[in-house]
Amino acid sequence: MVSQHGIKLAVYLVSSFYGDHNSKVCECLLRRGTLTLAQIIRFTELSREIVRHCLLALIHQNCIQAFSIQQEGAFGEAPKVVTHYMALFDNIIHHMRFPKFIAIVKDELGGECEKVFEALLQHGRLSFNQIVDREKQTVSKEENFDVDHLKESFNKLVNGRFVERCPAPEPFLAPPSDEETPAKKRGAKSTKVGDVSESIEQRALAAAAPMESLRFLAETHNWSDFSDKSSEEKFTSVKTGEKRKQDFLETDGGLLDQDEKKEVLWRVNFEELIRRLRHQACIANAKSRLNDECGIILGAILELTRSSESKVNIGSTASVSINDIYDEVIKKKGGLGMNLERIRASLVELGCEMPMLVEEYSIDLKSIIDMAQNEEVESIVLKRYGREAYRMFRFLSKSGCLHETDKIADTTFVEKKDAIKILYKLWKDDYLQMEKVTVNGARQTHFLLWKVNRQSLCQHVLDEMYHAALNLRLRIAHELDQEKEILQMPKDKVGEVEELRKRYMRLKKVSIIYESSLMNLDDALMLFHDF
Amino acid sequence: MSRSMNASSLKRKRPESSSANGSLVDADRAVFNVIKSKEDMGIWTRDIKFETKLADTVVNKSLKSLLSKKLIKEIVNIKNKGRKHYMAAEFEPSKEVTGGAWYVDGNLDKELIGVLKGLCLKIINSKKVATVEGVYDFLTKSKVTTFDCTNQQIAEVLNSMVLDNEVIEVKSTGLGEYHSIPIGTVCYRIAKGAGLGESLKIGAMASIPCGMCPRISQCTPDGVISPSTCVYYQKWMNF
Repeated sequence: MVSQHGIKLAVYLVSSFYGDHNSKVCECLLRRGTLTLAQIIRFTELSREIVRHCLLALIHQNCIQAFSIQQEGAFGEAPKVVTHYMALFDNIIHHMRFPKFIAIVKDELGGECEKVFEALLQHGRLSFNQIVDREKQTVSKEENFDVDHLKESFNKLVNGRFVERCPAPEPFLAPPSDEETPAKKRGAKSTKVGDVSESIEQRALAAAAPMESLRFLAETHNWSDFSDKSSEEKFTSVKTGEKRKQDFLETDGGLLDQDEKKEVLWRVNFEELIRRLRHQACIANAKSRLNDECGIILGAILELTRSSESKVNIGSTASVSINDIYDEVIKKKGGLGMNLERIRASLVELGCEMPMLVEEYSIDLKSIIDMAQNEEVESIVLKRYGREAYRMFRFLSKSGCLHETDKIADTTFVEKKDAIKILYKLWKDDYLQMEKVTVNGARQTHFLLWKVNRQSLCQHVLDEMYHAALNLRLRIAHELDQEKEILQMPKDKVGEVEELRKRYMRLKKVSIIYESSLMNLDDALMLFHDF
Repeated sequence: MSRSMNASSLKRKRPESSSANGSLVDADRAVFNVIKSKEDMGIWTRDIKFETKLADTVVNKSLKSLLSKKLIKEIVNIKNKGRKHYMAAEFEPSKEVTGGAWYVDGNLDKELIGVLKGLCLKIINSKKVATVEGVYDFLTKSKVTTFDCTNQQIAEVLNSMVLDNEVIEVKSTGLGEYHSIPIGTVCYRIAKGAGLGESLKIGAMASIPCGMCPRISQCTPDGVISPSTCVYYQKWMNF
């Protein structure tokens, strides 16, 4: 379930990148869930033509996934296949962090790969031939265009898993089998409608995804010999009726034509990039919380175990032997002087227990992420509510259970009359949960109990962060709008007048601060949503 | 008439003249008994009136009398500082009434807490790592304080410092700096950055005006409170 401000931020990003019509279609899907073409037209009040083009563009930019399901016909009509569309919230938000993704690729693979990668980010989906054509246009006549060099760069991106084959544009979800139906019927009574929709969307994504064996398989000269799910599940293979054709996105030489020509389409693999960013965040946390050595050792372990990670947000790394860790550590900057003794000491600081038999270690990444999240929330509480609130919040957060007001005040050395006011403020702003208990004795006595509910707190903080990210973007736009005259002036003219020059320098400084704050805030967003 | 009146007034006066062991007038006795029955918890004036079923004026008069005879004393109840509470003279107020060792006259003794925190920080800084007992022993042996404090009080102060992120709680590994501390024992060390005048690391959200803003829930793009009209952003960019 996406939060309100998450939706607003996503809509703003789509508007910034792709215009208002596309953002309207996205907003409709984000707020209302998976819809058909007819429903989108009705809710957005845009023309059929505009909606179709928007959907094509957004599918191409990986912001929307289409899928088709069979629906029972009404009044004795034959069942029909209807196309549905779902917004991909995560992929939309990823647009904010394209510069980070580019930096990762540039650091690891160099400038040539960076250019290809940037093209894929810009265009959403490209075949290799399209990448070649695009590169030919950018290269000047004097330079020699080397397609083999380009192929090499492209293969590096695929082998590094930064680029993947595109999912099927519109997989067909078969109706549930007879064995599944009774269980689903039982489930339908107890589950809400929202739960059923969610599973359809998850099924759609799973059905669209290319097989793991093909996902990172670079094309060869005989690429047409390979067939994957996306080329097998063609639209025309599904029974269509008149109604079906009306929901069908016409090709117009766009996305679907590629499939029919059997050209493999490639796109950026966000999963791998988020994995790299997660690792970076864990290493940075270890460095700042503990020391540089712990950061180096954690980096080494993550390097060794990355390829074995089955999903982005794994709880713990795979186990690695002390010798493998040592061999990797000494390759790293600052790691050459380390010995096994120091590595073991750092591993204990990182939370590893001393192994009993075989000397292997595994790092609990979830606990590092949890600690980083706690630091972020506690920082907000300290800045917004003060030092006493910070102590009380930390007490409740560490304890994880309900405590009475006086107990909290006594433990944290806060005046009892102040404690109740601060706790009430935190509760009102959804940072704490509160329960009232009445004890019936000689007199009725009321007690207030307080608690940090981590799950709901993280969701609330995430929503606030989406809100803040949107605010930063709006503020940047406002500042630029205020000074648009200066931005439109030639630079030499600005430099001539002291007042204009000052305003220009201020704008430059302000933009840098806003942009870097946004990048930092985005790290925190990933901490709470993606990691 | 006046003699009889005098005689009767004298007679009336006799029961009122009491001593610590002597008899009290009925009202005084009733009030005293109720107060004494509450032992170290004390009792509020209104509750005295409720339990004795005596008129307000009678109770007030009895309280004045008992106070003057030093049979009862007035105390401050930390939970209701504005209300008059009374206790029998022979009892000491309970922790629930006073607020505990850290309260003086119903207020938190912040000066005492501050002094102890400073001392604990210095001790842990010099020892690198210390247990509660280690800090307590150092304090008592060095006699740096002019007051007595207990092991329990030191533990409470250290706990509060952990919550303030000035020290961190760790378990002894028995190795290196922990060699003199049994394995598994809870001990304390200075938190990274603390004690050096460095402030706590500020999170990404807390670094921007929205993170500190108490009105974020009311902020909307086109509202009265909005990012484009925000005074906090204005101040942030005033350089």
